[in-house]
Amino acid sequence: MTSSARELIKEVIPSFPVRHLGKIYTDTTEFMNINYGDVIVLQGRNFLVLRDEAERRFGIEDPKYWVKRCRDLSLGERYILKLVFHEKFEQKIGPLKINCYRSPNKESRILDLIRGDYRFMQGTTLIDDAGNPVRVLEVIRGKSLDNFVEDIDMDHRTYFHEKFPEILEKFMGSCEAIKCMHDNHERHGDVRRDHIFVEYETGAFRWIDFDYAYESTENPFGLDLFGLGSILLFITGKGVHDNVSLNSSPSGREFFSSLRPDDFFLIFPNRLINLRRLYPYIPESLNRVLMHFSIGTYVTYDTVEEMLSDLRQSHKDISSL
Amino acid sequence: MNFKKILLAVDASENSTRAVQYTGIIVGGAADFQIELLYVERLPERDIFPDENSWEKACVEEKNKIRSFLDQAKNILVEMGVRPEIISIRYLKSSEFYGLPEDTRFRGVANQIMQAQQNGDFGTLVVGRRGVSKAEEFLFGSVSTKIIHHSKGCSVWVVE
Repeated sequence: MTSSARELIKEVIPSFPVRHLGKIYTDTTEFMNINYGDVIVLQGRNFLVLRDEAERRFGIEDPKYWVKRCRDLSLGERYILKLVFHEKFEQKIGPLKINCYRSPNKESRILDLIRGDYRFMQGTTLIDDAGNPVRVLEVIRGKSLDNFVEDIDMDHRTYFHEKFPEILEKFMGSCEAIKCMHDNHERHGDVRRDHIFVEYETGAFRWIDFDYAYESTENPFGLDLFGLGSILLFITGKGVHDNVSLNSSPSGREFFSSLRPDDFFLIFPNRLINLRRLYPYIPESLNRVLMHFSIGTYVTYDTVEEMLSDLRQSHKDISSL
Repeated sequence: MNFKKILLAVDASENSTRAVQYTGIIVGGAADFQIELLYVERLPERDIFPDENSWEKACVEEKNKIRSFLDQAKNILVEMGVRPEIISIRYLKSSEFYGLPEDTRFRGVANQIMQAQQNGDFGTLVVGRRGVSKAEEFLFGSVSTKIIHHSKGCSVWVVE
């Protein structure tokens, strides 16, 4: 490491152990080699690498070696650096499989598009010496929407009356944000409940991670809409109600056996979507929105606006309960 | 409406080949039909390629594949007795519908086909069908389903 980076680290992060100071990288192509204590230099800015990011799903930690937690050595601010990783993989959505691609350029383009719109994560793109577009993302201090909802310690009825109206209102804001993307001919690509972060300080819902791209299809917004439906189901039900959870008690088994195939989610046929069967106080107008995603539906949403228009009525009904 | 003026919308799929064969059987050697073989260009998504060069290469490969399919489709019709002079080929480039005030890429192939049917006053519209599940149709959409639901002023043949 050059003396200037060493001096900067000493000045900005005096507590950083000198023995861990590593190499300086101006080319991030070999991101697996970049580790704790290294410094990434991008267009004159120095970022000290603290660790690799990891995604926690279903209790398993999946390291993302191309995503680095860093500190900017000029001001000491924390950032997430997403390095270029052109990954292609098969994504399973219920019984279906689709080819999915990571596109750094798509994410950079969207970051430019939504700059200043705090319904989304914020960031900028800096180019390394090899021409790689590195996304420098501001850290959102908060927790993912699924954790936020699961951590609310109350029974469903109390949750639905006391907490849900505000959550629904904020979720509708998140839907508006996705609509804004679509209006600008962009798609989020990976709409899921852990890709909305609830900010600690403001309580705002903010979308993260826009780098998934897919082959073109006749229904360009289908995947995003499916994701929104899936999140709506989660926040309305305060969790997922499927064959496993419903069959876990004698009364649940009796209830489960009374359900019809049309009561379940089109994409995940083991997941209950007709939540009014379980919680009769859910207004018909909201349940009807959910039923657009059911196995039995004849009408699906083509656009976010169609769904939002129905949700606005639902929100009114819930607010007047 | 002239039912004998047929718009045969194809891509390079097996379903399209079946639609071509079906049309060939129906029309046979009749002289008073017109058939336009139409392909609406759908270039590979730029975002799924790491760089401009690999995307451009994929676009060229796709275009060649389609041009070859269109020639092949015409040959199939001729081999089935259809008169060559009543067959025309149209490759609708994306540049013909990109860049409009409202970007039409997201309007989908079905809308472009229906637009071509209206503009050309075709009385019959023929498409192949993949036979997708309800879940697939919800996530990815279906050209033939959109055409069945939204086409106006023509007969629609959906060949499975």
